Amino acid sequence: MNIEKIIVPGELIWEQEMRVANTVVADGKTYATVVGMVRDDRFIPLELVYKAKAGDNVVGVVTDVRHAGYSVDLGLAQDGFISSKFTRVSFKQGDLIFGRIKFADEVGNVDITDAKRLPTGKLVDVPASKVPRIIGKRSSMLNVLRDGTGCSIFVGNNGYIWVGEKGNVQLSLKTIDFIVRKAHTQGLTDAVAKYLNENGGNVTVPPRDAPEGAMPPKEETAGENPLMHPAAETEKVQPEQPEVVEETKKTEEKLDIEEM
Amino acid sequence: MEKPELIKDGKRLDGRGPKDIRPLRIEAGILKEAEGSALVEWGGNKVLAGVYGPRECIPRHLSDPYKARLKVRYTMAPFCSPGEHSRSGPNRRSIEISKVIREAFEPVVMTHLFPRSQIEVYIEVLQAEGGTRVAALTAAAVALADAGIPMKDMVSAIAVGKLDGQVVTDLGKDEDNYGESDVPMAITHRNKEIVLLQMDGLLTKEELAQNLDDAIEGCGKVYEIQAAALRKTYENGERGKLKL
Repeated sequence: MNIEKIIVPGELIWEQEMRVANTVVADGKTYATVVGMVRDDRFIPLELVYKAKAGDNVVGVVTDVRHAGYSVDLGLAQDGFISSKFTRVSFKQGDLIFGRIKFADEVGNVDITDAKRLPTGKLVDVPASKVPRIIGKRSSMLNVLRDGTGCSIFVGNNGYIWVGEKGNVQLSLKTIDFIVRKAHTQGLTDAVAKYLNENGGNVTVPPRDAPEGAMPPKEETAGENPLMHPAAETEKVQPEQPEVVEETKKTEEKLDIEEM
Repeated sequence: MEKPELIKDGKRLDGRGPKDIRPLRIEAGILKEAEGSALVEWGGNKVLAGVYGPRECIPRHLSDPYKARLKVRYTMAPFCSPGEHSRSGPNRRSIEISKVIREAFEPVVMTHLFPRSQIEVYIEVLQAEGGTRVAALTAAAVALADAGIPMKDMVSAIAVGKLDGQVVTDLGKDEDNYGESDVPMAITHRNKEIVLLQMDGLLTKEELAQNLDDAIEGCGKVYEIQAAALRKTYENGERGKLKL
């Protein structure tokens, strides 16, 4: 596999001044502040502390129920907050949630919206810098991963990954570990498809640059995002007050995380 | 023990020349549960460093709304040396070393990016043979970089000093104990800023100037090994720190 030169903090990246994230400019030259790689005029960090920003999808654990909402552990210095105003679902301590960051300020307060409860599953903590590789271009990697293992997988930008109980969970965890270890190499989606097939998985989704028809059916993703109104989606199936766990199980198949 | 002859025919006790450093080996990312870690084996020293954070600041009233708090704890294991180290908790000496190491990192670590949090650096000296504070600082710098904590510059450290009237680099235990002067220094790679400077014993102005030049040269060698250790964690196209 093709491995580029690894840059360490304080090392010169460019002789000219470049305003790029995770770098500092001194004397008209650009230096790295974290371990990373240089590709053309981009600096790709390999080790990075996650900073919450609005619009990110997150997986978290409810740590506290408060009168106005819920505290959620996101693996950050401060817990995130789900306001009762923005959610129709009620949570218990220890619940796993998938939501979107509505607002994040400079002192670390994080507001989460569109939160839904995830059923019992495995929570994996990976470095946040590896998350883009786990999702892949237009979710290509995630599709391969879900297809090959038959698992329901939710990836948060904060580095928490939830793997559902159905499917080959052990293989999912092993494959996520494989992706994290190889995150800095090229041609990874193909390597992962191969790894899955070698380890008892069954990949049918064409890994990369797949034509539109080969992607999962459009109807699944079309229309309203079920995340927005989890209750509305299930009411057709169960008119009387549905159990929250039931509800999430019904909707999880239809969820689409492609916008990540 | 009587004072040994520290320099004989231009060679030091272990056969080194005045500017040679002891064999140095650094390994990064060796602890599973820490966000960043490093093991430094420098001569007879073995130092382990682990970095956690940025995470919630405890106690909370010490948190700073403008920047992260840097917390450094240096401790020596009870079995690290033949001397008295019956209990490994903080003592006068280790509190001082923790403080000077923290102050060495404060101008370098970009703490303003993580307000209200704390970054914890734990350093454990497993085996000591002179120059543990510079070995600890070297390990902590690699561990911080391994944790992905942004730093404006890399810090490398080395001890310089004087033995039997001669200025030397990287003092060992006997050289430290019986030599005339011991000057641990930490210098940043890019700016050559001195972030740690302590002195034990006596030196003339000229000797200190010579020591400073030697320290810059020595830190350059240490930096190369630190950078190589960080690169090596990605060497075989593999890198794994996943908690399953």
